[in-house]
Amino acid sequence: MIKVNKEDMEYQEGMTIEDILRKKKYTFRMITVIVNGRVIPKDQHSAYRIMDGDNVDVVHIMSGG
Amino acid sequence: MDLLEMKKAHKLLARMDYELGKVEKGYTNRTLYINLSDNTIKTKPVTEQMKEIFIGGRGFGLWYLWNAITEKTKWSDPENEIIISTGPIGGITQYPGAGKSLVVTLSPTTGSVMDNNTGGYFGPLLKFAGWDALEIQGKAEKDVIIYIDGNSGYVTIEEAPLEAVDSHLAAEQFTAMYADSEEDKRNVAVVSSGRGAENTLIGLLNFSFYDVKRGVPRMKQAARGGTGTVFRDKKIKAIIVKYSGVKGDTNGPADKQKIIDAGLRLHREIYELDKVQNRMREVGTAHLTEIMNDYDLLPVMNFQYGSHQDAVKLSSDVFKEYFTQGLPDGCWYGCSMACAKAVDNFELKTGPYKGQKVCVDAAEYETVAGVGANCAIFDPEYVIEANFYCDTYGMDIISTATSMAFVMECYERGIINKEITGGLEIKFGNKDAALELIHQMGNGYGFGKIVGQGVRRMKKIFAEEYGADPNLLNDIGMEVKGLECSQYVSKESLAQQGGYALANKGPQHDEAWLIFMDMVNKQIPTFEDKAQALFYFPLFRTWFGLNGLCKLPWNDIEPADNGLTDEPAKVPEHVRNYVDIFNGVTGKNITKEDIILQSERVYNFQRIFNLRMGYGTRKYDIPPYRFMGPVTKEEYESRAERYDNQLKELGYDIEGKTVEEKIKMLREYREDQYQKLCDAVYKRRGWTPDGVPTLETVKRLGIHFPDVVELISKHQ
Amino acid sequence: MKIVKTKPELCNGCGACMTACSKTRYKVEDPQKSAIRVKENSEKPGSYEIIVCNHCGECIPVCNTEAMHRARNGAVRIDDVKCVGCCICVGFCPNNAIFTHPEINEPIKCIACGACTRVCPTGAIYMEEK
Repeated sequence: MIKVNKEDMEYQEGMTIEDILRKKKYTFRMITVIVNGRVIPKDQHSAYRIMDGDNVDVVHIMSGG
Repeated sequence: MDLLEMKKAHKLLARMDYELGKVEKGYTNRTLYINLSDNTIKTKPVTEQMKEIFIGGRGFGLWYLWNAITEKTKWSDPENEIIISTGPIGGITQYPGAGKSLVVTLSPTTGSVMDNNTGGYFGPLLKFAGWDALEIQGKAEKDVIIYIDGNSGYVTIEEAPLEAVDSHLAAEQFTAMYADSEEDKRNVAVVSSGRGAENTLIGLLNFSFYDVKRGVPRMKQAARGGTGTVFRDKKIKAIIVKYSGVKGDTNGPADKQKIIDAGLRLHREIYELDKVQNRMREVGTAHLTEIMNDYDLLPVMNFQYGSHQDAVKLSSDVFKEYFTQGLPDGCWYGCSMACAKAVDNFELKTGPYKGQKVCVDAAEYETVAGVGANCAIFDPEYVIEANFYCDTYGMDIISTATSMAFVMECYERGIINKEITGGLEIKFGNKDAALELIHQMGNGYGFGKIVGQGVRRMKKIFAEEYGADPNLLNDIGMEVKGLECSQYVSKESLAQQGGYALANKGPQHDEAWLIFMDMVNKQIPTFEDKAQALFYFPLFRTWFGLNGLCKLPWNDIEPADNGLTDEPAKVPEHVRNYVDIFNGVTGKNITKEDIILQSERVYNFQRIFNLRMGYGTRKYDIPPYRFMGPVTKEEYESRAERYDNQLKELGYDIEGKTVEEKIKMLREYREDQYQKLCDAVYKRRGWTPDGVPTLETVKRLGIHFPDVVELISKHQ
Repeated sequence: MKIVKTKPELCNGCGACMTACSKTRYKVEDPQKSAIRVKENSEKPGSYEIIVCNHCGECIPVCNTEAMHRARNGAVRIDDVKCVGCCICVGFCPNNAIFTHPEINEPIKCIACGACTRVCPTGAIYMEEK
């Protein structure tokens, strides 16, 4: 089990940040992904592998109207 | 009709010649007062106190209106005013989004004070013509125009019987009439409205800017709360300002380099990052449609649902095909964010201009979401057509859309029928009926006359005259304080419910948009966190309206390393830019904390203004339940898993319960949460438990004018 | 058309080009008012970078006022009457080759007049067909 924005998500072997974003339908572009307190640059999202128990925050900046 | 003939028909009512002003550190230090009842034109000085407390823009508007009216004044009384002012930063050309005009008046739909923030060239050109604000009181007998010549130095009030009222024509006619040549057209700015402003309570003002590449005047809207209805009620056909000679230093900045440096930082950021962030230059705010749909925030069918399978038909990629590309769509000089998209050569299919090819300023997110998704009409050409007519008729498209969505739901639920609608089958998804209704509203006939009064009045009419259940109407009629809601679903974000319903003028997202922070990021879990967000963000955003600024360049682009900062939601580097440009213009030395303090003064003053007009307490801050949660069975079922889980987590026993029972439980909980949110927000803002600023607060802010103290003392 | 081309390896950093440019354009000898800029490489002392507009024209469509245009001789130029000094062109220049100065309302940009090349003692800048 991992945490994504404070909510539980089933852990799957080999899952990447990109997988998580897809699964959560996080399509907004102005986001910062933080895994266990460390910012992971955008260009690593497709390769970065999540470990079981990781705490992932996908911080969306506001925008809107 | 010939322009010369139109101009010849003008009858001069009053003229004032004036010394040309000079802008010093963002101010001309005087304002222009006009009374249309007795044709007075005069100059008023801007005091240091005004600048210190109210800064400019919306602040000046509120102060003038406060002094012009009494608590008994109605929107249509002659003493009501329309005040237009940009603000000290407004008119600089080096920083994106720095040419906004702020408009303040008493609203026909809310009965209280209304503010709008719009693009177009009027505000800056007015200042460069020598005036920090234009204040219009009184009512003319026949249609008039006000003309301000900022190069020759005179102001006139003239009867103008022949020009068009509808804005796309009025802007074109007046621009051509007052420009000396094609090159001179960009120096003319027109404020106009349309026939719909006469026939509804939701009239808007169009502010023109001449697009030199397309060769047409284009328009941005001061749309909310019936400002255009007041304008037409005063019999104003247009206000025209002319000033040629805009340069990088016309705003008289104290330290121009500071402004240039900040501007270059942002230009560079937009150049490098916009294409991978929000694509504002490419598609404008239309990019939000698909985002909101993905996050279940796109209002569908009168805010019942948050997404729809057909929303893809209204996505930004679809609109991109219609937009004329490769043109710099800024609504004031220097805006590299350039979100103001346009569709050229659009052939109209309905209405009085059917068959004509027009340039439409289309389409922003609010329009697409409102007349599109919220009415379940997923047809881009219909959206563009509705956009054109709402604008040229002078009707607020947000209020039009939210009113129409409400009517459609009422029709589908059998609350109203064909007999009442005059044969209109006004169902969700019926674009022909929707366009027909827009024409009825604009032209003031049939069922359109009722819809044009807005949701609040329709609720009353449907209940009193057609026997509808007032409770249901109150739950699904998406207005607060008499203003129709803008196009975001706030149901799953308590903070945004507050962002909407606590907003001074009514539920408009320009005060606070906290949905991502709250619902998605879960950064503000406690009441105190939410209250802090509802303290900071509305104040931060108020500041744009004091200075003539646009909100978008603040957080619709972010520096590459913004995510690494302490508070990414605030975009700290851009806050630094704002401190720099304010100081660069005014020569003052404010800090980022002062930004909040400056806003806090005006924000609290506006809250107290609401109180003075008979509102401004807790009971006026409570939204209809659909802002907070599912009203109907279908709504509950559309998110059943989410709602069931929430109830279980809260310890409710939902085993074997019917949907109706679960709706009741959830409602009880959420309404209670909302009250607790109000408690926390009022406390954080320094207000009483009933939502009135305390004496201590107004003293701390320096807005303890005798009449303010007298008023709030009754509510302590 | 001929534009200013560079061979930075020949540059000795004397700055004559900047003086000549500002004098031609603004009648003062002030490198801060020059449309060509010579900068010493911070990592390699004694070697220089020369920044000057290559007249690619990417700034033309971003200009709000049509001040930025391609002149008949092919050079990209600013019409000072139309320009409102917004500096979008400066921020959107792919080569960072347009400059600003607080005393001058319009951005400072090469007009391909060649004055700088005529004073260069080393041949580090010269006029050549684009």
